[in-house]
Amino acid sequence: MERSMLAPGVYLNTIDAQKFNRCRISLHFRFPARRDRATAHALLPLVLDRGYADCPDMTELSRRLAGLYGADLSVDLTSNGADRVLSVSVCGIRDAFALDGEDLTAQYASIALGVAFRPYLVNGCFDPEAVEIEKDKLKKRLQAEINDKRLYCVRQARRKFYGDAPEGIERDGYLEEVPGVTPAELYEAYQEILRTATLDVMVLGADPAAVCAQLEQALAGIRREPAALAGPSAQPRGLPRHFVEKLPGVTQAKLCMLFTSAAPLAAEEIDVCRLAMSLFGGSTTSRLFLNVREKQSLCYYCGSSLQSMVGCMTVDSGVEPAKAEQAQAAILAELDRLCAGPIEDEELEDCRRGLLSGLESVGDSLSGLENWYYMEICRGGEVRTPAQSAARLRAVTRDQVRALLARFSFSVAYLVTSPEGGADHA
Amino acid sequence: MRDLTQVLKSAAACQSKVLPSGLTLLVKPMPDYSGAHAIYATRFGSVDASFTLDKQDGRGPVRVDLPAGVAHFLEHKMFESEEGDAFALYAKTGANANAYTSFDRTSYIFTATGKIDESLDVLLGMVGKPYFTEATIAKEQGIIGQEIKMYDDSADWRLLTGLCQCLYAAHPVRSDIAGTVESIARITPEMLYACADAFYQPANMVLAAAGNITMEQLEAACARAGLNEPRTPFAVTRLRAEEPLAVARQRLEFSMPVAKPCLGIGFKETPLPEGVAGLRGRILCDLLTELIVGGTTPLYRRLYDEGLVNPEFDGDFLALDGCLCILFTGESDEPERVKDMLLDEIDRLRAEGVDEELFRLNKNRMYGELIQDLEQIEDTASALANSFLHGYTVYDELQTLADLTKQDVDQALQTMLSRERCATVLIHPTEVNG
Repeated sequence: MERSMLAPGVYLNTIDAQKFNRCRISLHFRFPARRDRATAHALLPLVLDRGYADCPDMTELSRRLAGLYGADLSVDLTSNGADRVLSVSVCGIRDAFALDGEDLTAQYASIALGVAFRPYLVNGCFDPEAVEIEKDKLKKRLQAEINDKRLYCVRQARRKFYGDAPEGIERDGYLEEVPGVTPAELYEAYQEILRTATLDVMVLGADPAAVCAQLEQALAGIRREPAALAGPSAQPRGLPRHFVEKLPGVTQAKLCMLFTSAAPLAAEEIDVCRLAMSLFGGSTTSRLFLNVREKQSLCYYCGSSLQSMVGCMTVDSGVEPAKAEQAQAAILAELDRLCAGPIEDEELEDCRRGLLSGLESVGDSLSGLENWYYMEICRGGEVRTPAQSAARLRAVTRDQVRALLARFSFSVAYLVTSPEGGADHA
Repeated sequence: MRDLTQVLKSAAACQSKVLPSGLTLLVKPMPDYSGAHAIYATRFGSVDASFTLDKQDGRGPVRVDLPAGVAHFLEHKMFESEEGDAFALYAKTGANANAYTSFDRTSYIFTATGKIDESLDVLLGMVGKPYFTEATIAKEQGIIGQEIKMYDDSADWRLLTGLCQCLYAAHPVRSDIAGTVESIARITPEMLYACADAFYQPANMVLAAAGNITMEQLEAACARAGLNEPRTPFAVTRLRAEEPLAVARQRLEFSMPVAKPCLGIGFKETPLPEGVAGLRGRILCDLLTELIVGGTTPLYRRLYDEGLVNPEFDGDFLALDGCLCILFTGESDEPERVKDMLLDEIDRLRAEGVDEELFRLNKNRMYGELIQDLEQIEDTASALANSFLHGYTVYDELQTLADLTKQDVDQALQTMLSRERCATVLIHPTEVNG
């Protein structure tokens, strides 16, 4: 990857991706989450996604994208610890496949940059009609959270885990605040992002010079004042807290357990994190998969993941309502055994082999390449290639894995279950 | 318009070979890629519920009737052998492996960057050689029972199964792919062995691969697995009950914990033939759903602006042996109004014809999607296996799409998406204690 700074806090990142049938241009605006702007930030991608100054109508934009052989435009807001990332991406087939010899990549760049920098405005503000329609969509999305029980359970657990901390600010905003968001407030939030966010433009398989020229033009009228990002953090330790929510009609209970490292994890520890998760619950050779799911048949799924930016480890599982307590005890026992008991060479190397294979295949997809390098950028420090990370992973020892896992304390358990099943606490 | 024939032929090209055992090998070498993805698939899915099997042992054809969920159950059991679990063997190669069962096929897959020959050995060694004991079957019944319960909590899945139950009177598409807790309790070792004998014969299967892999590697792996030797296939006849064109039931309503009412509208259609003959119909179904309610249409815009559906409201189709249906699903506070608007729009398009420009744009979009499907090793191997199991090639898809006209769509609309063959499923939200 080649990385160059075009303006304060604005970087152009070019990744070689000529072997793919498609190319991809993405703009990632990274900024600290703000409680007072959370709902406006959540609404912003929905409004931006509808169109831009050169193509204000959402149906017309859909048709333009269909005409570009189904090019995909996505505008999303994601969390990166206590930071938010507003991403605008366009991905489409390469010029070589265009039936009429069109210059597709120039049009992809024009759409991506147009959506990001030239929104459709009415009287110097976002279109009030569009804002009202998208507020309704956001409201419905927030109300529909309960439809996906697995995700709902994880989100409820996180709400308890983070409380009022900045990491706990809702990415999708707050239902009760949706009606009050005005086009003017939304536009102000948008302008602030353009001015203060760290912007990484990722160009994969497209001509970076064409993107660069359009980008410089877009930045010309903006007084850039990049703000400090939130950076790594962690929640304090405390006694484990248990929560149970009973929903009529739930067939399979969902159990989410969260653990804190109490102190931020260093960017250099990422390779230890990867191996630790693979051993604990992140692979089909993990302890949770082999012992809790396969041997004890306590869960249909039971996996772990680690959010290193916030020092949080998540275990989520689908369990029979009557076996929730047993499953929780088994999960904790597996963690204890990993921290204090033996780790066999065979399981360690099986996990390492699987991870190395995954690292080697990062370059086999556009999204894999983009995610890899953008995550490296977000983590801070040296931007490593997958091959460099593979070399570091090969050197990780079982003692490092044990030491890392031992830093995690059980903090929150959240159980979503049926009214008939499960105890009053997990 | 440029002549892209060579570019497209090159993008869609693959090497193929049929071994003496009857197994078809398909490979698209992609040497610039680090990994390889392999799919070993059989034409055996949940709809293969009754068949006769003649093992040429003098007993003649024997009829086998299966409870729902056997294909999926067998898929789980293929991962076990006397030596242990296939995942444990894959762990030695670093491959990422999985399997899935659909209505009409079962597929076993792996992705690997190293030790690809060893991973092929694991794949070919585990599939087709089921191993089970009473104890392992009982354990699997527990795990799959949990999987069934997980799907029972999914509104999208319940809409699909509800629509299939409304539209079909006898076709096994009525049954959930994984079956029910009760149906899988009736599975016996004899049933599993009969299915393995009938459907895991090399002639009923395909081994497709894409990425940093060659035909020579596939052939060598097959030779090691004994798949090069000629085999006399067992005679298998799939049995299907007569299925009328009329829907079994026009409406189904039930409640589950969802935030908004969920709506499913299904249309029962005349089944398509297999092979290239049916390919045109598949592409038409895909185009029709986009031309009725896709993001480029006036109906979608009205539904969106008036807040009548969630943004994910869309159409899809299901094409199987003896079954073709077009389904529209999503969330809505006003499901009856949405249904009326959808039916009215279909009537309008039937009377006026589809918009020429929208037809062109959506055809372009589908072309782009086909090119996209030939980019990643997983998608490419999947496209090769899917097209083979349906009886056509990836290039046939590109060519058939190119030949399709607006008149073809207008003509299809005259007989398809009939109000008389329409069924509705409505899921009401249950009270939740928030």
